Amino acid sequence: MPQVIIDGKSYEFEGRPSLLQFCLDHGIELPHFCYHPSMSVPANCRQCLVDIGAPMRDRQTGEIQVDEQGEPVIQYFPKLQTSCSHIVSDGQVVHTARSSEKVKDAQRDTLEFLLINHPLDCPICDQAGHCPLQIQAYKYGPEGSRFEFRKVHKPKKVKLGPRVVLDAERCINCTRCVRFTDEISKSGQLTIIERGVKNYPMTPPGVSFDEPYSMNVIDLCPVGALTSVDFRFQARIWEMASTPSITTTNAKGSNCHLWVRDNLVLRITPRANPDVNEFWLPDEDRLAYRRFNEDRPAGPSIAGGTRAAFSSWDASLQRAAEILQSAGENAVFIASAYATVEDNWMLMQLADAVGGQVAGYIPHIDPGHGDGWLCTDDRTPNRQGCERLGIYPIDETLWRARIESGEVTALYVLEDDPVASGLCSVESLAGTEVILHYHHTTNQTLPAARVALPAAMAAETIGTFVNESGRAQRVIPAKAIKGTNRTLMMQMGLSRADRHGTPFDRWHNESHYIDCKPSWEMIPMITRALGTEINPQGPRKIMQHISETNPAFAGATHDAMGLTGIDLCLKESFQPAHLEGTH
Amino acid sequence: MTKAGNWQSYERVLLPPVENLHHLDVYRGHGGYETLKRVLEELEPQEVTAQMKRSGLRGRGGAGFPTGLKWSFMPPVKPDVPRYLCCNADESEPGTFKDRQLMEYNPHLLFEGILIACYAMSLNACYLYVRGEYASWITHLEEELAKMYDANLVGENMLGTGHCMDIILHKGAGAYICGEETSLMESLEGKRAYPRIKPPFPAQSGIWGYPTTINNVETLACAPLILGKGADWYAGIGAEKNPGPLLYGISGHVNRPGVYEYPTGMLITDLLEIAGGMRGNKKLKALVPGGASVPVLRADMIEGVTMDVESLREAGSMLGTAGMLFLDEDTDMVAFLRRVAHFYHHESCGQCTPCREGTGWMENLITRIDDGEGNLRDLDLLLDLCDQMEGRTVCALADAAAWPVRNTIQRFREDFERRCRPAVWAVNA
Repeated sequence: MPQVIIDGKSYEFEGRPSLLQFCLDHGIELPHFCYHPSMSVPANCRQCLVDIGAPMRDRQTGEIQVDEQGEPVIQYFPKLQTSCSHIVSDGQVVHTARSSEKVKDAQRDTLEFLLINHPLDCPICDQAGHCPLQIQAYKYGPEGSRFEFRKVHKPKKVKLGPRVVLDAERCINCTRCVRFTDEISKSGQLTIIERGVKNYPMTPPGVSFDEPYSMNVIDLCPVGALTSVDFRFQARIWEMASTPSITTTNAKGSNCHLWVRDNLVLRITPRANPDVNEFWLPDEDRLAYRRFNEDRPAGPSIAGGTRAAFSSWDASLQRAAEILQSAGENAVFIASAYATVEDNWMLMQLADAVGGQVAGYIPHIDPGHGDGWLCTDDRTPNRQGCERLGIYPIDETLWRARIESGEVTALYVLEDDPVASGLCSVESLAGTEVILHYHHTTNQTLPAARVALPAAMAAETIGTFVNESGRAQRVIPAKAIKGTNRTLMMQMGLSRADRHGTPFDRWHNESHYIDCKPSWEMIPMITRALGTEINPQGPRKIMQHISETNPAFAGATHDAMGLTGIDLCLKESFQPAHLEGTH
Repeated sequence: MTKAGNWQSYERVLLPPVENLHHLDVYRGHGGYETLKRVLEELEPQEVTAQMKRSGLRGRGGAGFPTGLKWSFMPPVKPDVPRYLCCNADESEPGTFKDRQLMEYNPHLLFEGILIACYAMSLNACYLYVRGEYASWITHLEEELAKMYDANLVGENMLGTGHCMDIILHKGAGAYICGEETSLMESLEGKRAYPRIKPPFPAQSGIWGYPTTINNVETLACAPLILGKGADWYAGIGAEKNPGPLLYGISGHVNRPGVYEYPTGMLITDLLEIAGGMRGNKKLKALVPGGASVPVLRADMIEGVTMDVESLREAGSMLGTAGMLFLDEDTDMVAFLRRVAHFYHHESCGQCTPCREGTGWMENLITRIDDGEGNLRDLDLLLDLCDQMEGRTVCALADAAAWPVRNTIQRFREDFERRCRPAVWAVNA
């Protein structure tokens, strides 16, 4: 196998890797700014310079020449080479800054250049703390600057589009954003304007940078030149905790990080997963962060008195159990493509315990919304999960008629909104006892609910979602809920308790703890009140059980899913024939 | 006897003294396009390239790469894979104005050269990229090109030989960087003129990603001469290792600035005499022999130096484009360098960090020295910046910006030190 020697250590390689990527893959750090593995290589930042040589060969015989000690004579390139644009070949010898003063000097010099016109406003910059320029300047840069002149001034706080703000002075002209719009999103909405040291990215005249993937350039930007309209000046990086999660705005299940401070999700950034979303995240997924913070309920409630009179969890769940008990087989359950596989499975167990019927889930399809990439027509995260459990789209005509006829005495709705989706109206539910698991106070079924139970959202719970292509991925809690749930607390990790605020933090606010419970915690409490003990011991065990008993979930344990998820068996292998063509 | 031989009796071939030669009929009346016709009818493409190699012609655009060799780098012809010739007429190096003369006074020699090159490399399209500021020359070229199409000298079945070749005129938009071959191609493709990484070289991946050869105007204009009068005739003109007629663009403090055609290898002193000597009988102080980016020579360094690649390299400079700038004894070298540094600062495309940031910093430092507020340490910092820029960018603009700074400071250090504030102030009694 061909070999390359980097800093005196030899490595085997296959194919034609670029030197920079090869080094990064092998834990050899090389400073760089413009290189991105999924885009073209312009080699313009000149930061990743290394010294490359190859053994000298005799022109006639082609044999490697050796010196007196028998060591091969290495012939180096006359100039330092950018490792990003260099394709590794057999026998080459590479010196990074660790083994070459020349390379070390070159990298320091480039950083000195990069910093002379950089505003160095790190104390007020959103990027500070995870800024490649800042980190690499400390690590590889000069101790000070010899620049004694006025820096070049360029436009600041330019609103490129509805979601992205540019500070051109911070820009180091790596062109990552321009290449993103040219090569990845293909909108071509950004270009570099001006020339030389005045260069900065800008939209063409009359064009707004409003493509549905515009916010990716914020993560791509190696400095704080491109910032988010929403997140700008909201928090310092080190005040937040990031939790690996997946997005629940559509059926793609793009991998993301949820950034939380004081129990508020402040932003959502992509998490690389080559099998799902690579490095990218659509703007709609990022802007969903507000859903975790705003319009959240203040606690469980039992209607009959006024809506404002909240009840206790015990009383509410007791009331729910009573309703179900009296309805018996006339109780109807609506599953949810918004809820996790575990929650839906628990709902099925509850229906069994009561003797009622699971009517199906309410599909939320927005035709034409999908773009064949990271946005889908389906606006729910777990349609496939439901179907793999044997829960299918609800027959709306049938159930609308049944609800209107008053046949349904109890309606148990899991994390959805049948009124808003048009299944029924608040009036038609007048004779029905509705038990509602809900996320937001804007839920339109809420006025009809006899028992309203606030449910934990994806940012607060543990559970599994199956995306449109059958990939099972799990979420772990990014923010804490008000009650005590040891399962959630264990997954969240003790070390991060401070990020959620202790009473000693100046920004601590108790009201950011939402008084909700995960559905998989509430349902066993209801069954207990009904006298049927279901104790699945948390979502991990539930998923373990499902994976062992349901072939459509074969192997889908939480451990197997890890942080990047696993592909489940093909949809065709579990889907009943009579449902084909309905999707 | 100099390398240039008997230059006093030299007869001009690139810019012959023929009135109205720029008109197609006059050019044809003087045997124009006969060489092309003969080449198309009698020679195989490889033979043309072989003749070019034998002539010893080195590119006249500044880098001095052997032209025949460059032509031979073109990959074998593949059906359905287009290939292009590109003529670089984006002449914007300060002190260089020779191609303009050719385009004005003998454009058909260029066109004929282009067509011969097209034939030699078996391709049928040439982009002629002309500097945008040469607006009137562009109009002129367009008119002559239209006449050529009318006369069937270019286009479908040209000269009745069955060949089809096209010349496409493209106007630049006024950026110096477009003279760099790869950024010229980017510009031609309608993109921002950022130089490309080499390799791949243009012969593998050029315009639109297809094999491309890029030659300077004067280089291509030499092709009809070589094929018409013979490679040996050409190789016998001027300096042995860098032969041929050469257009010397002489400017600066001389009595008769202008473009002069003489063999290569002329003594610099002879050329100064040809240009009428220094203005006002002043003494020569410095000479930039090949366009603003080549190292400047002190007056005491030009004795016996001839205008060819080897001799100038020994003297510590380069032939470049042979755009010679003579500076007299009154010249303020700091101001001179300030202007040069301003040019490179203004023209850096901004792609690579060292050049984008370094050129501006250099101008700042030199401006400060010129304003009398510089420090002695600034000179060392400038030399440091040259080290930090040279050889660390995609194209050679950073080198071109660093060389004059380094060499002017090194060769005229006293001039600079005199303008700096002293490192130690004298104590007044």
